Amino acid sequence: MTRGMTFRLLVGLLVTAAALALAGRRLHVLYRLGRLAQPVAPGRTTGAAAVLRAEVVEVLGQRRLLRWTLPGLAHLLTFWGFLLLGLTIVEGYGALFVRDFALPVVGRQAWLGALEDTVALLTLASVVVFAAIRLRHAPAREGRRSRFFGSHLDGAWLILFMITNVVWTLLLYRGAQVNTGYFPFRSGAYASEAVARLLEPLGERGNTVVEHVGVVLAVTVVMVFLVLVVHSKHLHIGAAVANVALARRPRALGALQPVRSGGREVDFEDPGEDDLMGVGKVEDLTWKGLLDLASCTECGRCQSQCPAWNTGKPLSPKLFVMGLRDHALAKAPYLLAADDAARAALPDAARAEGERPLVGTAQENGVIDPDVLWSCTTCGACVEQCPVDIEHVDHVVDLRRHQMLMESAFPEEAGIMLRNLEHAGDPWGRGGGHRLEWAEPLPFEVRVLGDDGADRLPDDVEYLFWVGCAGALDDAAQRTTRAVATLLHEAGVSFMTLGGAETCTGDAARRAGNEFLFRMLAQANVETLDAVGARRIVVTCAHCFNALANEYPQVGGHYEVVHHTQLLADLVASGRLTPVTPVETTLTYHDACYLGRHNRIFAPPRELLGAVPGVRLAEPPRTRERSFCCGAGGARMWMDETIGTRIGHERARELLELSPDVVTAACPFCILMLGDGVAAHLGPEPARPVEVTDVAEILLRSVLPARAAEPAPEPAEPAEPAGGTTP
Amino acid sequence: MSDPAPQVLVLVETVPADPATGRPATVRRPSLEQLTVARRLGTPAALVCGPADDDVVAVLGRHGAATVYVVDAPEVGGYLVGPKVDAVTAVVARGDVGCVLVTSNAEGKEVGGRVAVRLGSGIVTDAVDVQAGDGGPVVTQAVVAGQWLATSQVVRGVPVIAVRPNAAPVEPAPVQAVVEKVDVTFAPASLGARVVTRTPRAATGRPELTAAPVVVAGGRGVGSAEGFAVVEALADALGGAVGASRAATDESWYGHQFQIGQTGKTVAPALYVAAGISGAIQHRAGMQSARTVVAVNKDAKAPIFALADLGVVGDLHTLLPQVVAEIARRRA
Amino acid sequence: MHVVVLVKHVPEPTATWSFADDLTLDRAAVEGRLSELDEYAVEQAVRLVESGLDARVTYLTLGPAKAVEGLRKALSMGGDDGVHVVDPAVHGSDALATSLVLAKALQHIGFDLVLAGMASTDAEMSVVPAMLAERLGVPQVTFGGDLAVDAAAGTVTVHRDGDDATEEVVAALPAVVSLTDRTGQPRYPSFKAIMAGKKKPVQTLTLADLGVAPEQVGAAAAGVVVRSVSVRPPKQAGQVVVDDGTAAAVVADFLVARGFA
Ligand SMILES: Cc1cc2nc3c(=O)[nH]c(=O)nc-3n(C[C@H](O)[C@H](O)[C@H](O)COP(=O)(O)OP(=O)(O)OC[C@H]3O[C@@H](n4cnc5c(N)ncnc54)[C@H](O)[C@@H]3O)c2cc1C
Ligand code: SF4
Ligand code: SF4
Repeated sequence: MTRGMTFRLLVGLLVTAAALALAGRRLHVLYRLGRLAQPVAPGRTTGAAAVLRAEVVEVLGQRRLLRWTLPGLAHLLTFWGFLLLGLTIVEGYGALFVRDFALPVVGRQAWLGALEDTVALLTLASVVVFAAIRLRHAPAREGRRSRFFGSHLDGAWLILFMITNVVWTLLLYRGAQVNTGYFPFRSGAYASEAVARLLEPLGERGNTVVEHVGVVLAVTVVMVFLVLVVHSKHLHIGAAVANVALARRPRALGALQPVRSGGREVDFEDPGEDDLMGVGKVEDLTWKGLLDLASCTECGRCQSQCPAWNTGKPLSPKLFVMGLRDHALAKAPYLLAADDAARAALPDAARAEGERPLVGTAQENGVIDPDVLWSCTTCGACVEQCPVDIEHVDHVVDLRRHQMLMESAFPEEAGIMLRNLEHAGDPWGRGGGHRLEWAEPLPFEVRVLGDDGADRLPDDVEYLFWVGCAGALDDAAQRTTRAVATLLHEAGVSFMTLGGAETCTGDAARRAGNEFLFRMLAQANVETLDAVGARRIVVTCAHCFNALANEYPQVGGHYEVVHHTQLLADLVASGRLTPVTPVETTLTYHDACYLGRHNRIFAPPRELLGAVPGVRLAEPPRTRERSFCCGAGGARMWMDETIGTRIGHERARELLELSPDVVTAACPFCILMLGDGVAAHLGPEPARPVEVTDVAEILLRSVLPARAAEPAPEPAEPAEPAGGTTP
Repeated sequence: MSDPAPQVLVLVETVPADPATGRPATVRRPSLEQLTVARRLGTPAALVCGPADDDVVAVLGRHGAATVYVVDAPEVGGYLVGPKVDAVTAVVARGDVGCVLVTSNAEGKEVGGRVAVRLGSGIVTDAVDVQAGDGGPVVTQAVVAGQWLATSQVVRGVPVIAVRPNAAPVEPAPVQAVVEKVDVTFAPASLGARVVTRTPRAATGRPELTAAPVVVAGGRGVGSAEGFAVVEALADALGGAVGASRAATDESWYGHQFQIGQTGKTVAPALYVAAGISGAIQHRAGMQSARTVVAVNKDAKAPIFALADLGVVGDLHTLLPQVVAEIARRRA
Repeated sequence: MHVVVLVKHVPEPTATWSFADDLTLDRAAVEGRLSELDEYAVEQAVRLVESGLDARVTYLTLGPAKAVEGLRKALSMGGDDGVHVVDPAVHGSDALATSLVLAKALQHIGFDLVLAGMASTDAEMSVVPAMLAERLGVPQVTFGGDLAVDAAAGTVTVHRDGDDATEEVVAALPAVVSLTDRTGQPRYPSFKAIMAGKKKPVQTLTLADLGVAPEQVGAAAAGVVVRSVSVRPPKQAGQVVVDDGTAAAVVADFLVARGFA
């Protein structure tokens, strides 16, 4: 063996051993941390077929990333580049032992050499693209608007630098190999040959030195890269693959998960002594939760869509995830210390990290500020966008659960709503006695369970009409309820309501973290629904829909639930309703988060609007999957929105830019928030009024124009002139 | 009441004279209403705890109190209800009283309750109507948050009835009032709760919103920050606090801390005046427990009228100042 | 120091209520809750302890078996134990009899400070605390807007908002104090606290335990008999007038008639 080869082998192996030791130690720490965390729900790790498909589509095809075309493409190239560059690493290691090492079978074929060189050059190109994007969208320039705001930027630049190093060291030793005659490819590797021409003047000896040093450098760079990756956010390179495989399918939206402790569902009637109620410490996350944190690439796609972040609130889903991850890693020594003595011996900083409250203000040294935690509307835009399937909403709610169930710490106004739910069964504290007032102005009788003395739904009833709290009690929503009832009546669909026997589904309570109250309400409702024999249910509220359809199965209630837009679209399609009268109007449609993103009901409301002659539908820029929240979800409707601007106003602004006559939606919460926002933008006496209403109302205008011009409720007694009364 | 005694004793609430404005001492309206009730049941008599100046005696006489018992001792003002209980029982002990009427408010019910225990009498509170009947007064009560009406009769001892304001009209029935001073020995237990200081309310400005007995609230109809002056003026005339709808606080016409409703404060005053407020459920959630609601709104179809006890379809900017003037005129 | 808070389990105010054949409220037919107004007294008791008063807090209730739910709710907010006086003979009792039983119960369990809400939301008889004080022969301060206890001096100090003045009142302990709903928002207990509340001891007492004869209570002993009960006509949407220049007088008349001006 030549001196050169000995040098290569010795240094190369030494560097490798050291790097593997460092990386291994780190991985071991991460592994032990994962072992400390909570187990996942049973069944979470099964379902290999779906997993495989997901892997192929998402990781290899980088499906979600492709939505941001240019950077997506760059990322795709980098990713495939890495796979191919992996081959060159094998070649590099081979060259430590055998000077003209070539891969078996294809190792000397020209096309491989060409491909490897192309990939190397493309990798360099994408580094340039990345750098340009980062410079252009630098937080320093764009501030909060930048999706990289708050990302660990130094780390990202370091990685770009290392990738460059990988490429140039590779080309360097390959060029030298060409000159010294040990290059496995006789032709094809054009870039390496170009480098060779540059190196030619160094002569035989010079090139030999460059080759030896180059190989060692290439191996070293790769090893340093490995160590850096396992110590940085680029852990996501490995973690994301596992994370996507283990993600909730089809997506982590719709139903929230039950409260689990030790992997088992908590029994709220008789909870175990040490049962965890949500996440109060970072180690209360499941290991899948920790894997979520490790998988975050800090790309900021979630942040760029987040309604809270976009209206000046401190919550960014990315910063939320990063905050938890940085804390988890910093707390690791504390958590992994063998005993109290070892813990006491830790450096001050590590001990302080161990004692930080998970949720707390800056003053309390909290990891997540309460304002961050309570700003989330659970709209799911982040989950929708995340390329590595992080389950933000579930984590936010899990943190809220601990605050609510264990600490009783939550925004004061939410308490009023919770009390009202407990005592009156609706968030406004009106009580069951008021739940039928919506039907009073109708010219036909609305059937109410129990009116005819029966305590079960009669056989002729096709649908139980679940009115919902807003639908029964809010003025604007009552109009929708009446419109839907009138249309069903017109179509000859027989339906019945529960009247005062209905109570809130518990959506807001659950999203505020009050699983206990949610269970109480849900169980009561399931008991009622089962007792009356309900099978098919139609709802007008997206939140009721989500609860009844997706969450009630968790408490044993299984029903066929349809949203009114679905049912009405069917009735129109089957000819039971015929929209004939043109409604000459330009309108826009706002996708409710809990109808669209959470439940994929995009088409029916649009079909309805499309069926109405005269209607011109203008889609807003952010629509369907990327619809922008109205601000009401996640129990935010019952909390004061004092930080930044109002989410509902921001959305109303966007919709008004389309100059519509009517803003439509298909959820009472959205209509309320957008109504509020539109009123705020237009001022008290607008030159051109804009109406905010449900799509059902538009359909009604076409089907039954006379009925739609519903008079506002008269005051109970006809007004009389003051002079004419005796006080 | 096998042997009905002739006198129906009304425990009178007085308003002391105000030297600043020169307003003479007077009798609170509910006490005068109770004299009307007393006339239905027997011979009205009045009990004044504290100084009974001529003005007060004259008013009582004009409304039918033939006898005015006066217990004027420093203890009456210096301690909580105990001394008044002693005073009532002392008068009843004279043997002429067949029924005791008190106002169904905090203090009246307290005195009534203790008197009932001492006399071993039945007591009825929250009376909205009292009529004479076989076997004693027949009392109509609003029970369970006013959703039900119950009629009942006291069957033991000298009936004690706490009468709600407005249960009867004030009717003049002039008689010559005879003042009888009564000396009372106060039981030591009656002197257990001593009033250490008494700060007149005026000095504290407007009451705190959630604690105020009266709230006058303005909405988008008020139109501007300056517009709230008329709302404030009415609040001050009624000794109330000022509130606002979110529409008004969003416009920064009035402080955010005064917002009433779903995402603001919850209030349950005895009187709520809604001026230029439409009455959205988000607003109602914060004021639906108000006992009496007065609404002023331009739009006869505004939902707020559905829950108003008195609604005025009109412009608040003209109406509110007129109401303030009208109240001042009546007080003068 | 022993603080006893009187709590009452009442029918849910927003529910639809009904009356049984004997003209008593049909408590079995509607959901019940700890009276909202009593929650304020519970809150103040808990805050006293939290602010350093060395005291045991006991909740006392009188009512049917279901009333224990009211005790549990109070215990979930804080405090140490509950006492439930339950006896079929109590059914139909009026305030006189109720106060008698509660007075006996208080003597039985001992007390330094008795706290109560300003009224109960079912039968709006805010007379029970006053009657109790009378029966126990101790000072009473009602409608307190706040509460301070000086254990060393053995006194309780309370501010009350009267019609035209704010008074500061001092009473020697033992005493009965009733508190208004202006004293501070009652806490919303966490689930943890609800579970802890379920484990706190609750003692059940009967009239015999208290030395009260059945004849002294119940409908037969009542000082008041109910002759009839009827649903009040639904609160009428009031009178609506159109301002033709004279509405101000109508409003002023209305305010005067209702005692507001
Ligand atoms: C999530 C959410 C939370 C909310 N929380 C609250 C809350 O806590 N509190 C709250 O109040 N609202 C809240 N709202 C807003 C609520 O929905 C209503 O928009 C708001 O209460 C309307 O206020 P307003 O009645 O003053 O205004 P409007 O509804 O605009 O009504 C103004 C009224 O004034 C009348 N008027 C106009 N000029 C005059 C005049 N010169 N004289 C007499 N009358 C006149 C008009 O006829 C009209 O009826 C919330 C809304 C949302 C979406
Ligand atoms: S769910 Fe919506 S509001 Fe919450 S963090 Fe995600 S994007 Fe933001
Ligand atoms: S959470 Fe997902 S979308 Fe958000 S920054 Fe991390 S990887 Fe990107």
